[in-house]
Amino acid sequence: MKRAIFLLLVLTASLRAAEPVDILVQGAEKLEIRELIAGLGAGAQKVTIGPFSFWLGRVGPHRVAVSLTGQALINCTTATIIGIEEFHPALIVNQGTSGAQAPYLTLNDIIVGRRALDYDNFITPVTAVGQGSSPLAWTPVPQRLRDPATGQLVPYPEGFAGDPAALAAALRTRNPMGRVFAGVIGSAHEVNLELDRVRWSQRTFGMDVEEMESGHVAAIAHAYGIRYIAFRVVSDAPYEGVPFNPNAARATGLFTLNFLENLPPLAAPPLPHPTP
Amino acid sequence: MKWPLFPLFVLAIAAGTLVRAQPVDLLIEAADDAALKPLLQKLEQAQVETRAAWTFWHGTLAGKTVVLARNEGDPLNAVAATALAVRLHPPRLIITYGSARAHDPALHAGDIVVSASFAAFDGMFSPHLGPGEGSRPAQWEKLPHLLMSPGEKETPAESFPADAAALSLAMTLSPAHGHVVRGVLGSANQVNREADRVAWIHTLWHTSTEDGESAHIAGCAALLGVPVIGLRVVDAPATDAADFALRLVEAWR
Repeated sequence: MKRAIFLLLVLTASLRAAEPVDILVQGAEKLEIRELIAGLGAGAQKVTIGPFSFWLGRVGPHRVAVSLTGQALINCTTATIIGIEEFHPALIVNQGTSGAQAPYLTLNDIIVGRRALDYDNFITPVTAVGQGSSPLAWTPVPQRLRDPATGQLVPYPEGFAGDPAALAAALRTRNPMGRVFAGVIGSAHEVNLELDRVRWSQRTFGMDVEEMESGHVAAIAHAYGIRYIAFRVVSDAPYEGVPFNPNAARATGLFTLNFLENLPPLAAPPLPHPTP
Repeated sequence: MKWPLFPLFVLAIAAGTLVRAQPVDLLIEAADDAALKPLLQKLEQAQVETRAAWTFWHGTLAGKTVVLARNEGDPLNAVAATALAVRLHPPRLIITYGSARAHDPALHAGDIVVSASFAAFDGMFSPHLGPGEGSRPAQWEKLPHLLMSPGEKETPAESFPADAAALSLAMTLSPAHGHVVRGVLGSANQVNREADRVAWIHTLWHTSTEDGESAHIAGCAALLGVPVIGLRVVDAPATDAADFALRLVEAWR
């Protein structure tokens, strides 16, 4: 117990010293942030808050916190709240691997998110015992956020738009392992390999790739009024029968480093905790 | 993590805001204003706090310091509100309450299900099917959530634990209507009304009920090392669950 108290005091002291960053860069898996941590250089500082790790340093003109969020909604939402409250970023970059939902995409291509959305919310029709289940007949339910100015819950059926300036800079950035397209990124705690359902998702939501975090993080960023952009490299392509290739994670890390170098200095981050 | 270290772990989560952080006895969450109203009416020394898209009410209830959170009844808002509330006001216990639809055919309208555990049943993996072969949801496999744990490791979790002491206490209380039963509270941002799918989820995840947020709150609580208990009234207004939550708050020490 004494050791735990000591560790707590050390942690507390280090956290109080944490300075705001320009950009919070997130990845769900270690492979997705390996290149980024290396890019921070030898002076990088690691901060641990609960189960989440952050690495602080600089890339180009930017003060950066690299965050290992873990997979899917519960992890990434919690890590994003902690990252925002702790480091007050002006921009959040959520990047990692994904499954292709559009046939034109292949391994190592990168989608820059024109928008990102949560696609696993739905209402089913009412059917009786023995009548089965029909996923292609389910009605999507958009993510909602409360607007504190009006007090109303606002639905976002299109998801959340990527920051225009970050999107433009990303589309000028080189992917050393593949091509770069603007597109739509969909998030759910799902791995879909039924091609008819993949096609349904693409038609219904306009999705180019599916993964597990960017639409959720986009919603949190929107709620806080923080600029946001997502990058997803294609790590598996069910149309082509390409299984998950973890090496694709290297492409997204290298691309994000190039993006950070390309991105002009940001305006000062907003004041912490804008409370209406 | 050993139980005696949980409070330290929670304080570590809040450490960055220690200057502002105000520990409380209970964080109590419900989906909307109607569900919160019975508790808000009894909240003393009430203060309201809005941060980004989430609103909290502070005060005392039955002699305990509490924060009431409106979590909007879906996983994203609920996890965000929970993480934010734990950071700002580290609680000793989280109580999530509301209404739910039955997955267990033995349940009746008005029954109160108390969480023995929680299951976030939104994770799925579909085996490969080619073009024109349709969708075969009965063949889908469950995809458990992977919770981050210290040491940068992810641990698969098919269910999340409930606080044993709060569970035992809740099982001694009498509801205004129905029966009190132990069960598995399931959640997803889904309204499942296909009887065969409900049965499939019940078989795969052992869910007693489904609602929009309870298991996701429990997952967040597990990440942050905070004990949690869930209360759900079956096919009845959430105010019935609010009444039971009030009884739990009064009895809890």
